[in-house]
Amino acid sequence: MNTSALVLGGGWTGIKAACELADLGYRAILVDDGTRLGGEAPFDHYVSSNGDKLSTLSDSVHAHEAVETLLSTRLVSLTGVAGDFRIRLQQHDQVFERSVGAVIVALEADPASLAGEYGLQRAANVLSQSEIEVALAAPRQDRKMPGDGFKDIVFVVGLHEEENPLIMERTIRSALEIQLSQGFQATVLVNNVKLAEKGLEALYKRSRETGVLYFKLRDKPQITQDGSNLRINFLDTVLRRDVKLTPDVLVVEEAFRPHPEAARLAQVLGIDTDSEGFLQPDNVHFLPVRTNREGIYVIASARQPCNLMHGWTDVENAVLEIRQLLGKGKKRVSAEKVKVNRGKCTLCLTCVRVCPHNAISWDNRAVISTVACQGCGICASECPMDAIQLADYSDDQIEARILDAMDKEADGPRIVAFCCQNSAHEAAQMAQAFQMSAPDGLQTIKVPCAGKVDVDHILKAFRAGAEGVLVLACHKDNCKSQQGNTFAGWRVEDARRLLAEIGLEEERLVFATIASNMPVEFVKITREMEDKLNQLGPSRIRRQAAA
Amino acid sequence: MTLNVKENLPNRRAGKVLVIGGGIAGLTVAWELARLDADVDLVEKSSFLGGYAIQFCCKAADECQKCGACSVEKRLLEVIQEPRITVHLKSELKEVSPNGRFLYTISQHPLCVDPQRCTNCGLCLEKCPAPGAIVRGYSKNNAPLYAVDETKCLYFRDGSCRLCQKLCPEKAIDLNQEGHHVSKEADAVVVASGFQAFDPVNRPRYGYGINRNLITALDLERMLREKGEVVRPSDNKPPERMAFIQCVGSRDHQRRHGFCSQVCCGYAMRMAEALHCRRPEIEIAIFYMDIQNCGKNFSRFYERCKHHIRFVRFMPGDIFQGQGDQLVLCHANEQDGHAIREPFDLVVLSVGIMPGASNIGLAHMLNIDLDKHGFLASADSLDDTSTSRPGIFLAGTAQGPKDIADSMAQAGRAARKVAHYLQTIHGSNE
Repeated sequence: MNTSALVLGGGWTGIKAACELADLGYRAILVDDGTRLGGEAPFDHYVSSNGDKLSTLSDSVHAHEAVETLLSTRLVSLTGVAGDFRIRLQQHDQVFERSVGAVIVALEADPASLAGEYGLQRAANVLSQSEIEVALAAPRQDRKMPGDGFKDIVFVVGLHEEENPLIMERTIRSALEIQLSQGFQATVLVNNVKLAEKGLEALYKRSRETGVLYFKLRDKPQITQDGSNLRINFLDTVLRRDVKLTPDVLVVEEAFRPHPEAARLAQVLGIDTDSEGFLQPDNVHFLPVRTNREGIYVIASARQPCNLMHGWTDVENAVLEIRQLLGKGKKRVSAEKVKVNRGKCTLCLTCVRVCPHNAISWDNRAVISTVACQGCGICASECPMDAIQLADYSDDQIEARILDAMDKEADGPRIVAFCCQNSAHEAAQMAQAFQMSAPDGLQTIKVPCAGKVDVDHILKAFRAGAEGVLVLACHKDNCKSQQGNTFAGWRVEDARRLLAEIGLEEERLVFATIASNMPVEFVKITREMEDKLNQLGPSRIRRQAAA
Repeated sequence: MTLNVKENLPNRRAGKVLVIGGGIAGLTVAWELARLDADVDLVEKSSFLGGYAIQFCCKAADECQKCGACSVEKRLLEVIQEPRITVHLKSELKEVSPNGRFLYTISQHPLCVDPQRCTNCGLCLEKCPAPGAIVRGYSKNNAPLYAVDETKCLYFRDGSCRLCQKLCPEKAIDLNQEGHHVSKEADAVVVASGFQAFDPVNRPRYGYGINRNLITALDLERMLREKGEVVRPSDNKPPERMAFIQCVGSRDHQRRHGFCSQVCCGYAMRMAEALHCRRPEIEIAIFYMDIQNCGKNFSRFYERCKHHIRFVRFMPGDIFQGQGDQLVLCHANEQDGHAIREPFDLVVLSVGIMPGASNIGLAHMLNIDLDKHGFLASADSLDDTSTSRPGIFLAGTAQGPKDIADSMAQAGRAARKVAHYLQTIHGSNE
């Protein structure tokens, strides 16, 4: 195991991660495409109010011998597997290689003004949230605001899209600061006031007590910008009348978007994003910082915009993961986990393409990393040559279990249920522990992931005498291997077509999704299958065998 | 890649850690610490591990809605299989020495059911004459799966019944067991004692406990977990119209609950979506002040919910009795302000996260601070696991409201902090 780690992003979470790793005795390569460390992020109250701690941290990252800081540098490529990644970095015109055992992605989120979305042009009296924060950073007596005399300042936030507590806190803090100045009135137009963060409700209350006005709207107000004249109209649903505002200054919220590099890095690192483009797929199995690829961790605003306190919680979790992964440079792994039959492998690379964990590479045959492999078995079932066999779940072993299951006497139609060990298998055991009565003819066969269930296994179950077959997978977006349930669904469709060809009713084969804590649903699904099979009567295969 | 498969670490003890509370935060801290070679004593005051979160139902609709309830199942399974974790059920911390290494005493109530012998046959529950005296755990990974509730058991009341003990085919039940005290020591302590759900009896105008069709979200979680569907308690029929009322107990400055519970909007929307998916004919409304975010991709999730759920920005002050077993909520039409009286078959109160009942005692015993709401206070604005005392750390909702994912993340951080602390006191490698 290589005991160094790459940290991408030189903001305060990246710096913290590099320092923590170095303190544990690992080497850290801290890479940022900018020209200096320490994120801009003046918007985060946790950053601006912890200047001392951050400058101490900044000093220590520079002083640490184990931290190599590379600025104006970007990651160009990454190959290999957890514990032994080879990376290429580009600094100006120069490209160079390094090896690392793990990667932490600590990109900051990108603030984007929504002025255009509110139909506003840039103007001296239309400010973004960042701009008002810069103005408010000056001492009160030196502040320059457009307009004369009394100043009416209106904020619009959360009316174009749902905001979050981080954005709300910025608005509330700025509005409060303005309200505390002589001769200023702050008004906030907002939809949902997002307060799901420690201390925010109290801050919101204080701002209202101080005199900040809040109007809660459902939709964007009508805003007209005529030169330097601003007019806002909306219907207030509490007063039930039209309200007209003519602010001196209008402050428009900023949304947080994924870092501009996020999409490219997702490609380079071979990790998935969520539907908004933030790194890390939306799947509870990866929380808090894991990704579909072992050894690559995504923290803080790279995965979801958050403040520095939560960002550093992510740092600690990523460091914890790396400590578990790399240890002191050596790791015990089971060499028997998965085997490639090099005689059968024709190097078609199907396995490389389907592996959700990027655990497969090749020399002159496919090679599976036992460190990166999560044992889902998707590759084994997709391999056209049956060259890949999983320990405990080889095709022969599964077939033997099917035959075994069909050997047992049963009062009722025989059902084989292939159960993912992460969900259906647990649910089945729970149903049993709770004395819930599943069909007598039900036999469950545990699989590491529904993605391991092969069309062959399904057909063998029918041939061995099963009247019906269930393939029970995790819910969509809840597969530990991301696509195991999708593959299982496809294979069931394929198998149903084959069943139809040989004259077996398609309803005898059912694909369903379930969670580990759903024993009631497990019983319901299996009972429904039993009812259906009772209606259908013995399968053709069984009738022929009987004859 | 060259991998040396020889383990280079002898099984050196990293230290002993006391974890108070067996909910998702305590389970996660315990498991992460065990993976770091620490020996953990996990003290849980109830009969079952898993806290509130193990009672929650799967809220998947067509797809997973990321509530995290299944993560608790998984973590519980990992903990009970981990030999470095010693679990003390029905146990409470009584005493902790004030300095340095923590010498502590826990008092353990009799468990009465031997987890080694119990085979989960359920005969005790089936035959027990006193309702609620034998309780079943929420997960198959609760061991033992059955427990005796001393407050309801006839034997503990007047010694009149020992039916379960006589009937148990495995001789797993012993009602004569006595409670005892255990004294141990630890190098560090993690407080993960959790929260208590707001008791809506404290909102008398809602009349919780009078109409059976007024339930809490926690009641609904348990109902869905147990039955897999929603029914009106009054007649066990599926409701046609149901409502959720948000912020029950939360954001309530009059009761000094000036904080958002952070989880209620998420669970209400997820449960409403799950119910819609299972029974699209149920009309569901959510009464709210401000919808809070939950998880990733919130905008998309919220938009999808709006297709199936009616969101009403209004907080009903009273709940009235309607025809039959119906409940009536009054709210104002947003357009013209006219009052609307709307009947519902089932009303769910989205009760919030309140400071745990044991917080005051724990703060006193451990000499750590409470915040103004009664949660355990963290001592560092950038680290919510830290306390004012070295060697004592916080995790989960004991420190403040948070969801399953945030509790697990904070627990991971607490484990790291403990490991770091153990390293500093032992002066050896972490």
